[in-house]
Amino acid sequence: MFRAALAAGFLLPAFGSFAGAQDLSLATVLIDGENWQLVADGYQFTEGPAVDQEGQVYFSDIPASRIYKIDLEGKVSLFADATANTNGLMFGPDGLLYGCRNGEKQIATYDSQAKVQIVADEVSSNDLVVLGDGGLYFSDPTGGRVWYVSPEHKKRIVAEGLRPNGVILWPDQGTLVITEAIEPVLWTFRVEPDGSLTGKDRYYGPLQMLPGSERTGADGMTVDAVGRLYVTTRVGLQMFDPIGRLGGTIARPHSGPLANVCFGGPNLDTLYVTAGDKVFKRRTQARGVRYAKTKANSP
Amino acid sequence: MRSCFSILCVAAWLLMLNDPARAADDYKIGPDSMVQDGVPQGTVTKHAWKSEKVFPGTERDYWVYVPKQYDGSQPAAVMVFQDGGGYVDAQRDFRATVVFDNLIHKHEMPATIGIFINPGVIPAAGPDQKPRQNRSFEYDSLGDQYARFLLEEILPEVGKQYKLTDDPERRAICGISSGGICAWTVAWERPDAFRKVLSHVGSFTNIRGGHVYPSLIRKTEQKPIRAFLQEGSNDLDNLHGSWPLANQEMAAALKFSKYDYRFEYGDGVHNGKHGGAILPESLRWLWRDDKATAALATP
Repeated sequence: MFRAALAAGFLLPAFGSFAGAQDLSLATVLIDGENWQLVADGYQFTEGPAVDQEGQVYFSDIPASRIYKIDLEGKVSLFADATANTNGLMFGPDGLLYGCRNGEKQIATYDSQAKVQIVADEVSSNDLVVLGDGGLYFSDPTGGRVWYVSPEHKKRIVAEGLRPNGVILWPDQGTLVITEAIEPVLWTFRVEPDGSLTGKDRYYGPLQMLPGSERTGADGMTVDAVGRLYVTTRVGLQMFDPIGRLGGTIARPHSGPLANVCFGGPNLDTLYVTAGDKVFKRRTQARGVRYAKTKANSP
Repeated sequence: MRSCFSILCVAAWLLMLNDPARAADDYKIGPDSMVQDGVPQGTVTKHAWKSEKVFPGTERDYWVYVPKQYDGSQPAAVMVFQDGGGYVDAQRDFRATVVFDNLIHKHEMPATIGIFINPGVIPAAGPDQKPRQNRSFEYDSLGDQYARFLLEEILPEVGKQYKLTDDPERRAICGISSGGICAWTVAWERPDAFRKVLSHVGSFTNIRGGHVYPSLIRKTEQKPIRAFLQEGSNDLDNLHGSWPLANQEMAAALKFSKYDYRFEYGDGVHNGKHGGAILPESLRWLWRDDKATAALATP
């Protein structure tokens, strides 16, 4: 169906049908009768949900400097302690858990025993996305910039003059998306083979805002296999279609803030959101992605 | 009982035949949309444009139609088309250049240079990656970005080769679907530059916030815009809104605020058949009091 939608909406100037516009409402994602379920509660501030190869979801409790694991039965256990306020997390193609150890100004990996290896240092960071070739992008809201770390662990600034927070890639890793703090849009870039970013524009928008609010509160993001993008905001989890149009807002699981989101579970079909002191999950019709090696980023 | 049912079926069938809401959509082009003997034909040239400034990184094709009557002695009237590849195609619904040839020859519109522009694409950087389709972003977004693209990039480029008018009364803009709301947005943002709008099944819905125009038109001092809107009662009704209702709201708002407008509401669906069939009449109405044309018509 999605392919048909693309054909109808994209193949221009084919004036036959623009009905592809109809195809990516929330009804294509949500399941009747399914709602948010509480998975974990009683933390200080949850962030950085990340899925491993089995579908288990890890998350950070930033003020407590801890990382927890939610196993496939839903049991929560401590994975790492004294994490230097690790914030954003994501598993890399090497099976290591990459994290923003902002308390020590590091990007680091955690192995299965939670042993830390430094990937980049002397950088402030918030969130990251790891490519299929082991390179990564991370946001540096303090410095107002985005960094790229090559698979050889060489770091450099690839975008400046913005207020990045969440950072995510399209499933094919050819386009990078960054949240925007002021305007109700998301910044979008083309990913060049050397990691550079070009073609910057406000491709996704406008985001919904709470009445009377001047900020969307856009934070973490994830994408699904057909290219829909999900961004946590104050009004809820906003879903955008691949051509940047809002498809709809999934209601918040609680009245507090949402910080970040990922797909987890053995089928990668369950949204996990970190939300203040809690983590919630919700089964969907969509499937998340794991970034694979592409022709573009293979040497 | 059975005969009752049969009668009901026949009655329902008869009702269907007479139901004006059911799409007949049997619009046909007339002689003004067909090549006529003895009518001078303008030339069409194809060009490529890479935007560095307003839509950075986008690439697109555009076509320039120059009427036979253009001799460079006077600045020519200008008409811009979104999804240009469709409008310029002499085998499709609109056949705009054929209509231009015929109407210009009969002095029913000025000798107008047509600029037919496709939406931008940010090509994929890698071989197995997707391009970023910029059409919705460029056409559905409110604001002056697309107007600036025309005024700062395309018109100056075409103006290098042809003498184009800078009289806003002699600059028109046309589009279908999202290209239709784009045409309105360009004139709304820059009535100092464009004052004639032609919209075919325009997307005055909430794809990216365009549903607000009727209320803006009612509560904003009248702008010097002349608008022709074509719409069909069987047009789209989806997550973004109802196209028939949105266009009726536009027409009602234009009437309320005493705009120079015309609304052609047929029974078509989301295509260019009706708009194509009435393109000659639409252009005659839009250009009806062009002074240069009137001087030619009554020598």
